[in-house]
Amino acid sequence: MASPPLLDRQFLEKLERLTIHWQKSFNGLVGGHNTSRFSGGGQEFLDHRHFHHGDDLRAVNWRAYLRLEKLFLKMFQIEPRVPVRMLIDTSSSMALGDGQKFDYARKLAAALCYVGLVRLDTISVRPFSARLSEGISCGGGRHQFSPVMDYLSNLKAGGHTDYLEVTREFISAYQQRGLLIIVSDFLDDTGCQKPLQYLADYGHELMLLQVWAEEDRTPPWAGELELVDGETDVHLKLDFDDLAREQYTRAFDQYAADLQQLALRNSGRYVGISTKMPIEEVIFGSLVRARGIA
Amino acid sequence: MFFLNLTFGQFAALFGAVSGAAVLLYLLDRSRRKQTVATLRFWVAAQQPPLVRRRKRIQQPLSLLLQIISMALLLLAIAQLRWGSRLATPRDHVLILDTSAWMAARSIGDATGRRTLMDDVRDRARAYVKAVPPSDRIMVVRADALATPATAFESDRRKLEDAIARSAPGATALYLDQALAFARQTQVLGSRRAGEIVFAGALRVAEGANQASRPASIPNLRVLAVPDNAENVGLRRMAVRRSATDPDVWDIYVAARNYGTAPQSVSVYLRFAGEPAGFRGITLAPGAEREATFAYRTRAAGVLEASLWPHDSFPDDDRAVLELPPEPNLRVTVYSDEPELLRPVLSSTARVTATFHRTAQYRPDDTGLVILDRFRPSEPPKADAIWIDPPANGSPIPVRTRLQGAQFDRWCSDNPLCGGLRTRDLHLAATSVFESAPGDIKIGQVEQGPVIVARPGKTKTVVFGFHPAVSEMRYELATPLLFANILRWMAPHLFRRSALAAGSVGTVSAEVDEDVRRPEDVRVQSEDGSALPFTLRDRSLHFFTGTPGTVRVTTSGGEMVYSLNLPQLWESKWEEPAGARHGIPVFRPTPGGATDLWPLLALLGAAGLVTEWFLFGQTHRRMARLRLPLSFIRPRARKAS
Repeated sequence: MASPPLLDRQFLEKLERLTIHWQKSFNGLVGGHNTSRFSGGGQEFLDHRHFHHGDDLRAVNWRAYLRLEKLFLKMFQIEPRVPVRMLIDTSSSMALGDGQKFDYARKLAAALCYVGLVRLDTISVRPFSARLSEGISCGGGRHQFSPVMDYLSNLKAGGHTDYLEVTREFISAYQQRGLLIIVSDFLDDTGCQKPLQYLADYGHELMLLQVWAEEDRTPPWAGELELVDGETDVHLKLDFDDLAREQYTRAFDQYAADLQQLALRNSGRYVGISTKMPIEEVIFGSLVRARGIA
Repeated sequence: MFFLNLTFGQFAALFGAVSGAAVLLYLLDRSRRKQTVATLRFWVAAQQPPLVRRRKRIQQPLSLLLQIISMALLLLAIAQLRWGSRLATPRDHVLILDTSAWMAARSIGDATGRRTLMDDVRDRARAYVKAVPPSDRIMVVRADALATPATAFESDRRKLEDAIARSAPGATALYLDQALAFARQTQVLGSRRAGEIVFAGALRVAEGANQASRPASIPNLRVLAVPDNAENVGLRRMAVRRSATDPDVWDIYVAARNYGTAPQSVSVYLRFAGEPAGFRGITLAPGAEREATFAYRTRAAGVLEASLWPHDSFPDDDRAVLELPPEPNLRVTVYSDEPELLRPVLSSTARVTATFHRTAQYRPDDTGLVILDRFRPSEPPKADAIWIDPPANGSPIPVRTRLQGAQFDRWCSDNPLCGGLRTRDLHLAATSVFESAPGDIKIGQVEQGPVIVARPGKTKTVVFGFHPAVSEMRYELATPLLFANILRWMAPHLFRRSALAAGSVGTVSAEVDEDVRRPEDVRVQSEDGSALPFTLRDRSLHFFTGTPGTVRVTTSGGEMVYSLNLPQLWESKWEEPAGARHGIPVFRPTPGGATDLWPLLALLGAAGLVTEWFLFGQTHRRMARLRLPLSFIRPRARKAS
């Protein structure tokens, strides 16, 4: 039986008016903002899309309007761009419990891919755990979204996270700086701040999307526990009570705050996302507020 | 307050062991909820130090205390703690009645001659039951070769009286030590408070009963001895078998024993079918056994009876009866135009009655065995048949070919039909060669195929391709031997050796033939046809029957019939253990009763364990996950030290 699609049609239509934002200018991109990408007229026609409030009226296909009485926008491909790169965490920790973190991350990645494709961005998706895996690269409009959706649907989680190794591989593979979106729980026992700082220092603009399950932040268990690390299989026996739970949550929040500080310090963005939040609220709320998309 | 099942020392030892084990297990480790998490970094950051494998102090004293108290309550329930005085508990007595065969002997001092030792035993038992306090319970056990409880521990005196009245002498001797062991075990396992073990009987036991593993003393044993007169001469066994020299004569052996202390002269009378058949007078020393032998000629069936005279105080063993079977006989009908050729072969066996007819007088409905000599009957016989040189178109086994001047090749080697057959340079002037079927036995063969074939089935058939009395084979020793083998194959009962024996019930030992090596070769059946268990070691067969009747032991070569109607009598006087009491006792009246507390204790113990499990065990954690409003009873989890 085929699994249901990650995102439904109505939600995708809502995403069409969004644009992925970045702050820095990178070689190969026209301008520093999405609006600049459509200034070049007379280029090769690429696609139509529905007109949305705020679009440039000069790009409206008036002939189509006369025939169909609907506003369509003509889109042109102007020149190759540096792709928007997206790393998605596929380590075992993402699939713990009933795998809700991993599903959530895949949906989030798919939504961002669709936003990018609609705005004619080129998107390169690479899964990672201990190392970078083979990914998918797409661009050229919304009709290229189907392969991305299939690719993300077929992703499997497994292995442990090694941010340092992944960072090393990424820097070696991509010399050209650009926007780097990382969708992960960032739960690497060896720490991920330093590798992320390397990426920022190298010139990439970071957009960190930290996905966590509620039990990651507020464990519901109490009493005598034997804990097993889902990635390293290390065991730990301890007693756990309400006081310890408060300390745990405080430590988790501190870690998230450190990540946010790292991102902001390097002109990037950070969004902490709980899996109990609806994804629509995250896209149109948290991400817009963080100026990740507009 | 006292324990019914355990002593205080046993209880204390058990409780110490159980509570010690509980504390040890508590300190060693406890089962923990196993949980897989994404990372351990925040758990460590929560400043919860990992626990050591073994605890060094009690962390949940309430849990441990609840466990130990619950186990103590359960142990108290097992020990059957009772409220009241131990002396107030009614006792449970076991009353063993001697129901051995000897109890049918006449009672001493009875002028009518009708009263038996069993009546004396019943009187003694009733007197004992009357003396026992009404609250005490009694179990009535009937003892002969086996100890059989007639009642459970019973305080209803009418039921006890009924069980005593229905107790009757059996057929076996008394194995008292087994009965005492049974009584002791019953008191240990099933009584509230052990009372007395009472034996009412004559104290005469079977041989070997004294060697049983009996303790030196049985402190609660009481003996209600019944006086008896041991002067008795009885038949021990009678054996009958066909004489080896004359099959019409029965050899009869009768053995008698003097159980008393004075020499006795008795007469052994033999009667067959109600008519006198023999008489012997024998003198028996005290404790001695002698045998009288008789020879009696008869081919008829009938009842053979041996009896002793004069009768004594125990008449049941003065008479033994056996039913002699008729001599087996096989009727052979021969259809031949030359009957003189076969007459010598058939007249050599006394158990064969041969009648000769001309072939024209053939009838297909003859019974027994039919021999067809060189002719084709209009209809095949319905009985077993031997076909001698049948015509090719009338043979029951198809004829493959007809040979002239054939050299006999060989006899079969793997079948009893060919046992002992030897010939040398046997030349057959003319013979038919048969087309045998699978399953046929090729008795004799020439090079071209079988010339004597046997076919088993519902009716057995043997076909000769030549006439043995016309060919060169008439000079061979193999000819009468071959006919004897064929007769044995067709009518095995004719040659089966039979023997009969009268004896006493109990364990019977017999010697079987040499060719009987495996238990599968022997069948031991009781009167109703059911199989009896037996053991076979070397050539000795042993089986046991506790009830009088007939037992048949059948082997391939013969049958032994045991008529086990003689009673099994005692061999020796039972030696009482030291400290045994005698006579009817006088019991002190018992004070009021004691109350059983074990159901309440068991409930409290179980409730304690459930409460502990609910408060401290897995259930508590499960409930916590469900977020049920149970906070008012939850204990606060303590941090590990």
